[in-house]
Amino acid sequence: MSKPIILVPLDGSKQALAGLPVAKVLGEIEQAALHILHVGEHKLTADELRSRLGRDTSVLNDFTIDARVGVPAVEILRGVGEIKPRAIVMCKHSGAEGEKMLGRTAMKVLHDARCPVVLVPPERGEAPWHLQHVLVPHDGTPSTSAALQPAAELAERGRAELLVVHVTDIKTAPAETGSLTTPRYVDQPQHEWPAWTTEFLNRLACICPLGHLQTRIFLAHGDIAAEVLRLSERQSTDLIVLAWRGIWEAPRAAALKNILREAHCPIMVVRA
Amino acid sequence: MVDPLNGGPRGVPEPLALPVDPHLVELPAVPTDDPGWILVEEGFTLAREHEVESLFAIGNGYAGTRGSLAEGSALSTPATFVAGVFDSDANSLPGLVSTADWTRLSTSIDGQPLRLDRGHNLEHRRILDMRQGIFWREWQHQDEAGRITRVRVLRLASLADRHLLLQSATITPENFSGRIFVDATLTGPVVQVTSSGTTVAMAVARRVMNPTDRWTPSAELIQGRQGLELRLGETYRLDRIVALHTSRDTADPRETARRHVERAIDDVAGVIGDHKDAWLARWQASDLRIEGDPAAQRALRFAIYHLLSAVNPQDDHVSIGARGLSGSAYKGHVFWDTDIFMLPFFILTYPEAARSLVMYRYHALAAARAKAARLGYRGAFYAWESADSGEDVTPPFVVAPDGQVVRLHTGEQELHISADVAFGVWNYWRATGDDRFLVEAGAEILIETARFWASRTEHGDDGRYHIRGVIGPDEYHETVDDNAYTNGMAQWNLEVAAEIANLVAGRWPESWQALSRRLGIEPDEPRRWEQVARDLYTGFDERTGLFEQFRGYFGLEEIDLAAFVPRTAPMDVLLGRERIQRSKIIKQPDVVMLIYLLWERMRPEVRKANFEYYEPRCGHGSSLSPAIHALVAARLGYTALAEHYFRQAAEIDLADSMGNAASGIHAAALGGLWQAAVLGFAGLRFSGERPEHRAKLPPSWRSLAMRFQWRSQWHELILPEGA
Repeated sequence: MSKPIILVPLDGSKQALAGLPVAKVLGEIEQAALHILHVGEHKLTADELRSRLGRDTSVLNDFTIDARVGVPAVEILRGVGEIKPRAIVMCKHSGAEGEKMLGRTAMKVLHDARCPVVLVPPERGEAPWHLQHVLVPHDGTPSTSAALQPAAELAERGRAELLVVHVTDIKTAPAETGSLTTPRYVDQPQHEWPAWTTEFLNRLACICPLGHLQTRIFLAHGDIAAEVLRLSERQSTDLIVLAWRGIWEAPRAAALKNILREAHCPIMVVRA
Repeated sequence: MVDPLNGGPRGVPEPLALPVDPHLVELPAVPTDDPGWILVEEGFTLAREHEVESLFAIGNGYAGTRGSLAEGSALSTPATFVAGVFDSDANSLPGLVSTADWTRLSTSIDGQPLRLDRGHNLEHRRILDMRQGIFWREWQHQDEAGRITRVRVLRLASLADRHLLLQSATITPENFSGRIFVDATLTGPVVQVTSSGTTVAMAVARRVMNPTDRWTPSAELIQGRQGLELRLGETYRLDRIVALHTSRDTADPRETARRHVERAIDDVAGVIGDHKDAWLARWQASDLRIEGDPAAQRALRFAIYHLLSAVNPQDDHVSIGARGLSGSAYKGHVFWDTDIFMLPFFILTYPEAARSLVMYRYHALAAARAKAARLGYRGAFYAWESADSGEDVTPPFVVAPDGQVVRLHTGEQELHISADVAFGVWNYWRATGDDRFLVEAGAEILIETARFWASRTEHGDDGRYHIRGVIGPDEYHETVDDNAYTNGMAQWNLEVAAEIANLVAGRWPESWQALSRRLGIEPDEPRRWEQVARDLYTGFDERTGLFEQFRGYFGLEEIDLAAFVPRTAPMDVLLGRERIQRSKIIKQPDVVMLIYLLWERMRPEVRKANFEYYEPRCGHGSSLSPAIHALVAARLGYTALAEHYFRQAAEIDLADSMGNAASGIHAAALGGLWQAAVLGFAGLRFSGERPEHRAKLPPSWRSLAMRFQWRSQWHELILPEGA
């Protein structure tokens, strides 16, 4: 069986290099081959690419370098179809497009790729990255549990702690059968909360096996994005994992957009 | 009207004639078909499995078994709990022991396990047959090779012989012949010894009936595993009986269980028949029939079913934990839930069981005295949470979901538990006229709890007695002074203890002298209780007719709960612990609870004023809350509001979509639901010498009919009169 691949699209900009340290660690955890896919106006050799990136070339030794010509999003997605990566790691935006959330290329890749996409904020630069705390927001539905399996597997392989934040929609309970929301009645908290937490983890684990993963549950309510960002800061999260049903248009994906805009750590988006 | 009946209660009408599924005759019983008596779960949703296990639990007060899938699933938590048997280690609080899984039955066909999560489930249905106390399962499964197998199961915890548990299963290959392998071994040790030295022993007997109706008592079957050659369309049946005994009830539980099960396996039909008869007899006494509202009817039967499944009149050293015998949550611990919320049902329809529950409190007196003494008080301060010994087993802290460690004060500050216990005792004696109980046990509880209050009160500069630093039923507000419920119930406790002391002294002087000597009761002590009761601060304002829930409550922040509608989370979660403590939002009825329990002592305008003030400020953060609001609203004539709360209470377990019921049903909420119907809508009262009623039924209830016992006499209540 061939090694899994982590794909790192680059466009020649300095900001795009922010994905490299993240990809490197993920590659080690997943025992995956690292594959840089550079898309530009002219096809470059590996040396030309290294030169253009202006880097210590030894840093890139672990990567296979694949240079292509064309429209970046199209070529990246073509590459995704060819090499079927386990995940794509890319910078959220190059900055040149003046956006704070997602660049056009990242947006297209996120929308069309079916594998998990890790979006890295350009401001983190090329500083070393470690995976110790993975934060996962969860609405209590079985479908979200299923979508979070890649996150759980990643955290377990990376020996990171999984932080699950259950952000309650205080107005309506999820309609999906088997959903677990905040308990309406907390008769005796000393019994109710341990029972609820156990039940939450059990339901999560039966759909998304947690193995020996160290897991903590947090309960929050209110604006999902604000709560996730608050907890992410407080717990020094290294990676936020979000399940996304694939619909971008408002009013859907509001939390995803806000978290993408504001988070200081990389975000892995997995399809629900 | 309330009609006294001569002799015992009359029979419950027979259920509708059953269109018997011909396949089901292969099992040794037939399920009830009347929808008013059954709860049905169609299909299979893995994530809901724990809820289904709780709702479909079977029990007989001695043991309770969750409604788990016999072959298991990724989310199955099979468990059988034995009432009164607790275990703990050095680092944990005692919790109910779970025995070996006696329900396990895994089957494989040509090496392929038969499971819900493999192949296709052409049909899958679980039925809780409340009338017969039987859990049923019907399952038609097609495996990946296209083989269709039908499995049927019945499971019961015998109500006629509480030591017996029975499961019968049939298996039929519907489109193939082949070899199946059945594994019916028990999972877990058949003999367990708890840290306190209690032995729990199980013995199992099995038999297989082949299609020619011959029973197979083979050696390999005795071990629980057997291969069978099945032919197309032929049905095999596996019966399994478990006898469960503990060293609490016999000197040699292992040998007793072995002998017991050997006898039982020879008469499976008899075991099932006796069990069904026992349930029928129980329903004849305890059923509550509603016409016009099938949902309410089923909810009330569900409540009665689980209350009956949790009680054992033959053992007065056990009580009913917060989740009965249906789940592990709350560790089987006993709260005021039993005395205030569940006990009225038993007092009026099953007095023998009620007696065992109040006697549990009598046996716990020593621990209650020790708790009071440890804190520097006299008398009996009952445990907020108790297990087998009556010692307080309340955890000292809780880790909230935000990771915050919160110190718990309920064990030291929820003093009202002592008055609640006393109230239950008095309620039992008043309704049954069980003078022997009063003289031998009840009076002692009333006296010792009164002594506790007399020593716990402080005489203030205002010339009044005060009770400071407490938590009332509204647990959102801790360490408050002069909680209205606590003080009101303490006042009642002191007065009633003095009355009972005088009664016993006058009617049974020898018993009184013996009791006085034993307890060291001073001659003027009852008068002192009366004086403390008279001068106890109650927080009542004659001008407004309102009780202040505790000192300073009226000055707290007003928060409009209507602004949070709809909501799915409790208010303390939404606002946070500190904010909720600074607000007037309450967790559950406190003053309203006092109004309910001491109804006859309150003037009508006082009942109304307090309900109208406190009801809009209640966040219903407890499952105990909606039923009591339904009851009081019904009595006050707010029928629509009462119906709203009744539905809310009925849905706590039955419409559970929030996981609350995953680790057990809410026994107190079920008891509260029954009270809301009987003491609320039906308006049954016992203020005078005879029971009377002032019914205000919901418009959809065409009729309500029930029987109850009052002072050894069965009565029939049919509403509306002439219905």
